[in-house]
Amino acid sequence: MQAELARELPPAGFNFENCKRNEALINGGFLAPKTVKTGTTIAGIIFKDGVILGADTRATEGPIVSDKNCSKIHYLAPNMYCCGAGTAADTEMTTDLVSSQLALHRLNTGREVPVVCATTLLKQKLFRYQGNISAALVLGGVDLTGPTIYSIAPHGSVDKLPYTSMGSGSLAAMSVFESRYKPDMTEEEAKKLVRDAIAGGVFNDLGSGSNIDLCVIRKNKTVDYLRNYEIANRKGERTLDYSFLKGTTIVTGTKTFNLDITETVIPMEVA
Amino acid sequence: METVIGIRGPDFVMLAADCVQASSIVVMKSDHNKIHKIADKIAMATIGDAGDSNQFTEFISKNLALYKMRNGYELSPKAAAHFTRRNLADYLRSRTPYQVNMFLGGFDDKEGPELHFIDYLANAKSLPFGAQGYGGYFSASILDRYYHDKLTEAESYEILKKCVAEIQKRLIVNLKNFNVVVIDKNGIKNLEPITSVKLDAAIAAAQGAQGVRAH
Amino acid sequence: MSILAYNGGCVVAMRGKDCVAIATDHRFGVQAQTIDTDFEKVHQVAPKMFLGLVGLQTDILTVRERLAFRKKLYEIRENREMTPKVFSSMLSNFLYERRFGPYFIEPVIAGLDPKTSEPFICNMDLIGCPNVPDDFVVAGTCGEQLYGMCETLWKPDLEPDQLFEVISQSMINAFDRDAISGWGASVYIIEKDKITVKKLKTRMD
Repeated sequence: MQAELARELPPAGFNFENCKRNEALINGGFLAPKTVKTGTTIAGIIFKDGVILGADTRATEGPIVSDKNCSKIHYLAPNMYCCGAGTAADTEMTTDLVSSQLALHRLNTGREVPVVCATTLLKQKLFRYQGNISAALVLGGVDLTGPTIYSIAPHGSVDKLPYTSMGSGSLAAMSVFESRYKPDMTEEEAKKLVRDAIAGGVFNDLGSGSNIDLCVIRKNKTVDYLRNYEIANRKGERTLDYSFLKGTTIVTGTKTFNLDITETVIPMEVA
Repeated sequence: METVIGIRGPDFVMLAADCVQASSIVVMKSDHNKIHKIADKIAMATIGDAGDSNQFTEFISKNLALYKMRNGYELSPKAAAHFTRRNLADYLRSRTPYQVNMFLGGFDDKEGPELHFIDYLANAKSLPFGAQGYGGYFSASILDRYYHDKLTEAESYEILKKCVAEIQKRLIVNLKNFNVVVIDKNGIKNLEPITSVKLDAAIAAAQGAQGVRAH
Repeated sequence: MSILAYNGGCVVAMRGKDCVAIATDHRFGVQAQTIDTDFEKVHQVAPKMFLGLVGLQTDILTVRERLAFRKKLYEIRENREMTPKVFSSMLSNFLYERRFGPYFIEPVIAGLDPKTSEPFICNMDLIGCPNVPDDFVVAGTCGEQLYGMCETLWKPDLEPDQLFEVISQSMINAFDRDAISGWGASVYIIEKDKITVKKLKTRMD
C-alpha cells in the first residue's frame, strides 16, 4: 500500500526534468538566477602534532552577503574534516554525502577510514561530474600514515601538500603561508599562522569576510573544532535605539488562532 | 495578438474571446470560436498557438469526460483548473510544451462561480476578473474601474463592451468580433457576440439621439 | 530580467523571544502587469510551521504540492509531526536533487519546534543551500532592500508585539522601493500558544 502511495518518490540521484524548460526560458531572454557562493578563503596546514584547517564565514549571492556567519568546515569522519569553497549547496551536499559513505565504510570494516579513502571518494565524484559540481575542497585529517592535507579542485584533481589554500582569497592566504610556513611548528604557532592566513583573505578579498573558524585535528585523535575562533568583524553598536511604538503599523484585519497545548503520551507500537 | 477577458460575478462567470484566426500577417477567419465547453458548467477561453489551443482544450475536456464516466460525478471547476495547470506544467517539462494561455470559468453548485487564470508557464490564480493577450493591456484598467462585487450579468456584458470598444479603438490589430459566454447555475449560455458593427451602430444611435452631427 | 522576478513578490521571516514572525506581500503579476493583489506566498504547512515561497509562480505551486505530498508520507510512515528542522532538510534535498535543472523559487521557513517550541528560521537559494541564522531571513525581488531594513531594525529578544512592528515596517519600507512587490501584506506571528495573522495597509501603486 505504501509503495503504491510513494509512487511519486523518484529514484536517488539528480533529477533533470526541469532542464529542457529552463533552457527554453533562458533562450527566451531571461537571465539565469544566481546561486549562493562561498567566495571564500579556506586553508589547511600540517604542524608537528597534526593538521589545522581554517575558513572564513561569509556566503555571498552576487554582491550581496547572504550569510554573515556560515560554517565552511564540514565534518567528514572523527579523524577528518573538510573545508569547502565554490557553490555553497555543492560543497555542503558533496561533503555530507561522502561523510555518510565514510560512516558506512567504517561500520563495514570496523576500523578508522584512512584520509586517502575520503580523497578518492571526493575526487571520483567531482571528476564524474566534469566540474559541473563546483566544489573546491581542502581536506585535512589524521590516520595511520600520519597527518595529511589534500586540496581537491572542482574537476577532480588532487594535490597532497604540507600547506594549501583555496577559494577567492586563496592568494592572500597563500602569501602568508609562503612567507612564514616551516615544518614541525608547534600548535600555538600553527594556529596563529592559519588565523593570519584566513585574516589575509577576510580583509583583502571581497568574497571573504566576517569571522575565522579553525579546526585542529591531532595525531592523538583529539579534535578541537574552534567555531568562531576569532570574531574578526563585529557589527557596529548603536548607542540609541530604534523602537516602534505599538500601533505604528496600520492593520486592516487581525485573526488569532489559539492552539490548545495538550500533551499525551502515545505508547510506541510494538508488533 | 489575441485577447481573452473573464469576469466573475456573484452568481455567474462571463468569458469573452476574440474570433480571429490568423496565420502570420494574414487573417484567415474572423468568426473562430475560442471559448470551449469542457464540462456541463465549465468553459475554457484559450489563446496561443492555434494548433496547441485546440489540441490542449480537447485533451482536457476528454479527460474530464473520462473522469465523469469513471467516478459518476464531475470534477469541480477548481479541481478542473488544478488538473489543467498540472498537465500544462508537466508538458512544459517535456519536449512538446503547449503554448497556451487561458481563462477557465465554471460554476460549482456549492462553491459558486469560479474564474481561473492560467498561462503557458502554468502560472495559475483564481481571480475576480482579468484579461490576457495584447487586449489585456487596454482592458485591465477598465475592469479595475467598473468591477464591483454585486455585478449583474447585464452590467458585466456592458463592461465587456467597453473593453472591446477600447481594444478596437487603440490596438493596432483588427479584432472585429468577440464571442461571449456566461456560465451560471443553469449551465453554459452563449450571449450575443460583441461586434464592431454593432458597437458602431450603438455609438451612431447615441450620437443621433443627442442631435450630434456624425460624419 | 531574471526568471525569479517574472511574477514579483517577497517574503521575510524573523526570530523573536520564544516566537517567530513571517511576512509576505500580496502581488501576483506577469512581468510589469499586475494580475491580482491577493496572492499570499506564505502557507501554513503544520500548526506551528509556515513556508514562504517566492519566485516563478508555477514553480511555487508545484513545489508546494510536492512538499505537501512528501510531508504527509513522512507523517504516515513515522507517525509523528515533522519539525521545522526536518522539513527544511527535506526541502533542501528536494531542491538539490534538481541541481542541474532547478525550480525557480527561493524558500523561507519559519516555525516553532512542535515539542520544545524552539524558534526556527531558515532560507535557501534555488538549489537548496540552507542558511539558518539567529536573526532574520529574506527572499524575493526586494531582498536587497529587505536586508538593509532588517539589519537596522532587528534586535535580539523582541517580544511578539515589537516583532510585529519591526517585521511590518521592514517589509513595507523595503517593497516601497520595489515596483514588482507590494500591493498589501500579511504578517504571521507564531507563538507557543497562538498564531496571529494581520493584514497590513500599504500603498497600492
